[in-house]
Amino acid sequence: MVDGVLEVENLCRRFGAVTANDHVTLRVRPGEVVGLLGHNGAGKTTLVSQVAGLLRPDGGTIRVAGTDAVADPGTARRCVALQAQAQAPLDGLTPRTAIEIAARLRGMSRAKAAAAARAVAEELDIIEWFDRRAMPDGGGISGGIRRLTAFAMAAVAPVPLVILDEPANDVDAARRRLLWKTVRRLGDEGAGVLLVTHNVVEAERVVDELVVLDKGKVVASGSPSGLRGASDHDLRLELSLTPDGADPSGSGVPFRVARRVRAGRRVLLTVRADNAEKAVAWASALRAGERIEGYALAPVTLEDVYLAVTGGNAKEAGE
Amino acid sequence: MTDHTTSGGAVSTVSNSVPRVAVPPRTGLWTTYATLLRWTFGQTGPMLPFVIAVEALLAAGIIIGFGFLVPGIDPASARFLSTGAPTVLLMVVGLVIVPMGVAQARASGTFTYLRAQPVPRPLLLLADLTVWLAVALPSIAVAMVVAWLRYDFGYVFDWPLLVAAAALTSLTAASVGYAIAVVLPPLLTQITTQVLVFFVMLFSPVTFPASRLPEWFQTVHDWLPFRPAADLLRAGLISDSYTASGRDLVVLLVWCVLGIAISVRALVRRT
Repeated sequence: MVDGVLEVENLCRRFGAVTANDHVTLRVRPGEVVGLLGHNGAGKTTLVSQVAGLLRPDGGTIRVAGTDAVADPGTARRCVALQAQAQAPLDGLTPRTAIEIAARLRGMSRAKAAAAARAVAEELDIIEWFDRRAMPDGGGISGGIRRLTAFAMAAVAPVPLVILDEPANDVDAARRRLLWKTVRRLGDEGAGVLLVTHNVVEAERVVDELVVLDKGKVVASGSPSGLRGASDHDLRLELSLTPDGADPSGSGVPFRVARRVRAGRRVLLTVRADNAEKAVAWASALRAGERIEGYALAPVTLEDVYLAVTGGNAKEAGE
Repeated sequence: MTDHTTSGGAVSTVSNSVPRVAVPPRTGLWTTYATLLRWTFGQTGPMLPFVIAVEALLAAGIIIGFGFLVPGIDPASARFLSTGAPTVLLMVVGLVIVPMGVAQARASGTFTYLRAQPVPRPLLLLADLTVWLAVALPSIAVAMVVAWLRYDFGYVFDWPLLVAAAALTSLTAASVGYAIAVVLPPLLTQITTQVLVFFVMLFSPVTFPASRLPEWFQTVHDWLPFRPAADLLRAGLISDSYTASGRDLVVLLVWCVLGIAISVRALVRRT
């Protein structure tokens, strides 16, 4: 019944008093891009480190391409290409050499490695720096190109599971799009991709499935549209509060609010589309009375859901 | 514990309809080693000229500088001092430069990055030690040239012994240095290695005869790697005056194995 390239079940890991992973269960199937979302310290990197054989779990199981990754981490590592959150060691190397090395370590022949390295560099539009040496003082190539090179090192050879930990950090907007395209291609070619990020907006565009971690626990999982809510007709009314003003949405809202989330000076209310008119009228009145600074009405996004499930100063109302 | 009786281990035995993702084949050990070597050399290569320059300066410092400490140094002492210099250099590279590099790799995340690579982790150490061997060995030639320029005496080489002693000394120093850097936190590593340099240069019978030390301290040095390494190398450099002892070889070997064992454990172990 093992059909995922990554099967994590009831994974637990503590650091002293802190529970970094608390009975985490998730699955990545071949061809699927799964986003692992969570705030800083939610336990994402701890999870990845256990899959890659850097940390030993306190409990639970990890299977990578059918292999028990806890008992046989060496074999599991052959099945995983990891782009870690830390920069890859590129000093003294050119992107070409680094990507070729990654391909060679995965058993590609010299010629194949060279061709594959060039192809992925072209795909990411980093050919301009392909033969430029990265200097130990940070010179030679920029942080963004280093990040893309590290991504290319993880993407150059076919592997069952690709794990990307914040791959788009420092990368410019144009190349981010190329990067996400490549991530999608890896999935389409049959690899399972686990994409670790706290960037909800970007993740939404590439992932098939999402798993949200909060304080070490899985607090939500499913497809982006599934998580957004059963009806895609929900709208989000965003109120911008005045610096010292009270939140006017606490009570006496003249329509039904499915969910209410407070994020700093913003209050996000999920309302049904047929209440749009009432919502706008209500918010306009609030603004006219200078009880809020402004408002916006838009379709519900994944970010709303994410903020709702990860708590913080959020709180749910409704029903 | 989680084994289901029907589905086997890593080999795709049962799963009938579901296409099983295959585990990629193991890359050949030699290819892996050669590729890691390319990676490590790529990173260390640009540093190599500086390291050799430092080695030359150190050699000059020991051979010429220590010579000033002894007024009217006689040829025998000069020979002893000069033939101890290569050991000091190998120890400095292994016990100071190697741990510095490892501590930096740990701090920058390189160490963890490499541990996540699809390679048998002991090969990471092997590639590292190979590179450090290549960095350290020129120091012997450098020391010999400086000594020859300063004191103009002849060597009587025992080549097999010299090569073996140089390789073993350098390997021991590098693996012990590596072990220090993986066991201690970076700041403590730095302090420890600085202390070790002083110990090797000033308190070890490497550039002066052991007979000048108190007896108890001589005994201590019978168990440390410094004097044995110096004596072995000296026997390889001026084989007409000194002979190698089997015990020295054993002591050095034990330190080498210990350093490698601790380093490999740190690389392989999951915390």
